[in-house]
Amino acid sequence: MTASRRAPFRRNRLYLAGLSPAAFLLALFFVGPAIWALLSSFTNRALVGIDAANPRFVGLDNYVRLFGDPDFAKVILNSVVFVIGSAIIGQFVLGLGLALLLDYAERRGFLATSLVYAAVLLAWVNPTIIAGFLWVAMFDFYNGSLNVGLGHVGLGPIDWFGSGPMLAVIIANIWRGTAFTMLIFLGALRTIPSDIYEAARVDGANAFRRFWDHTLPMLRPIAALTLLSVTMATFGTFILIQALTNGGPALQTEVIALYAYHQAFQAHAVGYGSTIAVVMLALNLGFAIVFLRWSRARA
Amino acid sequence: MDEVTRQIMSRRRFLQVAIASGVVVACNPTSIGSTSPSQGGTAPSSGAGGSTPPSGGAISGTVNVTYPDEAGFKPKYVEQAAAAVKSQYSGVDVKIDLQKIGDDDFYTKLLLRLDSGDVPDVIHVGGSLIGELSDAGYIEPLDDYLAGWEDWKQYPKAVQDGVSYNGKTWAIPYGLDMRWLYYRKDDLQKAGLPADWQPANVQGILDAAAAVKSKDAGVLPYALYAGPAGSSGTADHAFVPLLWAYGGELQDASGKWIGDSPATKKVMAYYAKAYGDGLSPKEIITATKPWTAMREKLGNGGLALLFEGGWVYGGWAAADKAATEQNVGYLLHPTESGGPSFTVGGPGTCWYITAKSKNKQAAWEFVKAVNTAEIVGKLNAEDPHPVARTDAADVTEFKSNKYLVDSTKALESARFTIPSPDYPKVIQAIQTATARIAAGELSADDAAKRYTDDLKQAVGADKVTSL
Amino acid sequence: MTSIAPNAGVAASAGSAAAAAPSIRRPKKRAGPVEWIAVHLVFLVVCAFFLVPFLWLLSAAFDEKATAYIQWPVVPTIMNFVRLFTEHDFGRVLANSLFVAIATMILVVIAVALAGYSLSRLDLRRKDWITYAVLLLQTMPISATMVPIYGLARQLGLRNSYLGLILIHAAIELPFLIWLMKGFFDSIPRHLEEAAWLDGRSRFRALVEIVLPLARPGIGIAAGLAFLAAWAEVLMVVILIDQQDLKTVPLAFYEAMRTQGGYTEVQYGVIAAMGVLYLLPVMVVFFGARRLMVRGLMNSTRGL
Repeated sequence: MTASRRAPFRRNRLYLAGLSPAAFLLALFFVGPAIWALLSSFTNRALVGIDAANPRFVGLDNYVRLFGDPDFAKVILNSVVFVIGSAIIGQFVLGLGLALLLDYAERRGFLATSLVYAAVLLAWVNPTIIAGFLWVAMFDFYNGSLNVGLGHVGLGPIDWFGSGPMLAVIIANIWRGTAFTMLIFLGALRTIPSDIYEAARVDGANAFRRFWDHTLPMLRPIAALTLLSVTMATFGTFILIQALTNGGPALQTEVIALYAYHQAFQAHAVGYGSTIAVVMLALNLGFAIVFLRWSRARA
Repeated sequence: MDEVTRQIMSRRRFLQVAIASGVVVACNPTSIGSTSPSQGGTAPSSGAGGSTPPSGGAISGTVNVTYPDEAGFKPKYVEQAAAAVKSQYSGVDVKIDLQKIGDDDFYTKLLLRLDSGDVPDVIHVGGSLIGELSDAGYIEPLDDYLAGWEDWKQYPKAVQDGVSYNGKTWAIPYGLDMRWLYYRKDDLQKAGLPADWQPANVQGILDAAAAVKSKDAGVLPYALYAGPAGSSGTADHAFVPLLWAYGGELQDASGKWIGDSPATKKVMAYYAKAYGDGLSPKEIITATKPWTAMREKLGNGGLALLFEGGWVYGGWAAADKAATEQNVGYLLHPTESGGPSFTVGGPGTCWYITAKSKNKQAAWEFVKAVNTAEIVGKLNAEDPHPVARTDAADVTEFKSNKYLVDSTKALESARFTIPSPDYPKVIQAIQTATARIAAGELSADDAAKRYTDDLKQAVGADKVTSL
Repeated sequence: MTSIAPNAGVAASAGSAAAAAPSIRRPKKRAGPVEWIAVHLVFLVVCAFFLVPFLWLLSAAFDEKATAYIQWPVVPTIMNFVRLFTEHDFGRVLANSLFVAIATMILVVIAVALAGYSLSRLDLRRKDWITYAVLLLQTMPISATMVPIYGLARQLGLRNSYLGLILIHAAIELPFLIWLMKGFFDSIPRHLEEAAWLDGRSRFRALVEIVLPLARPGIGIAAGLAFLAAWAEVLMVVILIDQQDLKTVPLAFYEAMRTQGGYTEVQYGVIAAMGVLYLLPVMVVFFGARRLMVRGLMNSTRGL
């Protein structure tokens, strides 16, 4: 191999050229918007009114306003509750459970496993806005499948969007996103050869011991990363919640992504909306750095 | 004309100044920039260099008209006007973009368009938006065109006043807004109330709703708009009339928006009772567009009490005239201590020409065409509003319609919302505050206090006060 | 970032078996009846939870009198579908969507193949940094960039144009797919193309003639995912497009949902029909590509 020790850029110039179309697009539509958001957050730009014709530089006013805004505190709380409820309690646990179930069923030769697998996957693969539509119908107070079903067993209808909006959006998001964690765990579980379980069973280990001694160690390494992954993915949820509750009665399900959108396109305050977007990006960057550190440490 | 001064002047005095400056402008078409009163140093000269005096040259080009409509009454008149313009001026084409979506969604989409390169020539949005649209430089002042339009004299001074801002006229109204307290005679009778029911005071509405709730489980007692989903109705059809009923005001003498006040507390208490006692359905704050369902239910008897726009009656009458006349009653809004006495008035949806339009002359021809006495009269007969121009009321369909006569008369007892560019933002604060109390998150007093915060977030702390 | 791409990719990396349907079956001792019933009961509950909404979609799409709950179609009909095309101009909307999705797919595949190959063969000391930068970008939530992309697109004149839409769709999908393609190219040993270089072929020709054919399964996956992501993307379309004749399916769906008012008015049948048509390509591409994925992953291990 003729390894060249000459200037690295000269050696790699073709490869750098190959990277350039992608790099161009990424710079324009990732880095660009981040910068635009930052700059815009220092102005009072609006979609209409004086601030549309003549946006002014207002320095950190938007940030002062944001962190003094009692509604923003509620929005952050909602986002935290949503992520904990949906990602951590729901998708992670359910995904793990389903992975264990499917792995077990597979090894035992249950044919129906494929059907269950496909069902979970379908919920995840379909476009989010369809998921939103489906669950708007499911949760409908007068005619939704859930309330009609409750009626059939003699229970009264639940006002999902009125009295339990956060629960409703969490359920819908769990439905939507569980496949992700399930796939990851399933992948890890499948790498365990069945013989190990056979040997353990022959040795007299019961189901619990088999799980504890053989299954769990395989899952532990990826558990933390998966948790962080699913948290980050859930953090930016927008369309699903907008379709179901649009922020919920009186901001009860207003998560940070929705708040940014509403400020920019409902209250027509683009500068203020950008401020919220910047906060989102900063939080996300924090998560991402932690994620990368952990994944590098693991590797 | 700076904010403070304008708020202090009464509508009539302001009108005199408006007319005076309009006359000056009409006599000196090229001196628009120099005669416009000082604008407090904030707004750009929204129209300087933009409006050209009507020229005698050939009128041609494409006029893009965009407007929202859900009720279905306007399209044929808009098309009629388009046809009239096309036949009168062979070089003109009129492209109509009818959007069958709600006003709020239409407005946001419109703002995005006005900001971009694809600007329509003629738009049709509420008159209350004049202030902010003008400040943004999106709309064209019409004074030059009006100077050459005889028909403008048919519009009463108060109406002309309602579409003025900063000394210029910005839009042509076709039908004025007014609102009624609608009630279902059949539902109230079943609840034991008289057929010619009149609330003794504003509390009477809640009492009647409670009666309906106890006697008839299948009927919604009352629809009190709250939250953002209720759109401008949350303010104009719910919060603001209640505020006035309890003796409150939107602004104080210096022009600051009033947040917490004794009247505000009472309004919040009213909301708390309406939603807490289950008199108004939670659906209003959870549905995407609650007013569609509420209007429909009042029309078919599923809802007993509703304070809504006068024009909604037209939809019910179009579906079943006899049943509507028999079962739907309408009253003015009561006050804290007395019976029906006022309504909420407004300039209604108006026709504007955009500032970046490339065919203003042709656009003006279209605006004139869609606002002839005949069209205004006929449209308002179907989509009932008091007409903006008095000669339109001479149309026979109009004069013979008891409902239209009543609506026009009701305007004499109308109170008008404030044509300030900040009012749309105040509406948003009202939406946030009412959603909170309707969801039962705070007590009435606390909700009134939070409303002050909402106002400060919306318009800035220096423009807000509390009593 | 998009709902499908990053998730599918991480899953694919977690183990090739994860992408394949559970088809590995080893003969095991038969499960007892109690176990059989218990497992299938749980299966039933799980399937019900995940499938019921789709059953409703199907039942409503073919029902003239569709309601929000599942019922056997009261008036079975295909009129909902017909009305979509006659009353709501869905044919054009569908065509628009196909055009945008396919164009995005082509653009993305080219950009991503080049970038993935380049990143794989890059020989810089700080190469890892680039990879991590790409991963970092992938984690950015689109909902945070909505507002600034609106502003940026407005200033660049990219609003209401397919050019803008395609570029932005492509950009969104790049980070994850670059990382995916890099993985594929990493698994293709270098000595193949180095042999070609020694033979006198240019690097580019070596890439096209030797490497790409081996990477075909990877490119297939990338193409499939790119198409799906563009097909499903709603946020960017909402921000960028408001001209009616440029509408794509996600936007039509979004508007249909937002313009329906109150509980009494929603035209479930027609919207459900739109949903079914919207879902169809997703099912085709995903379930078709899955087999491709399996074959590709099996192929990629052959060269080692």
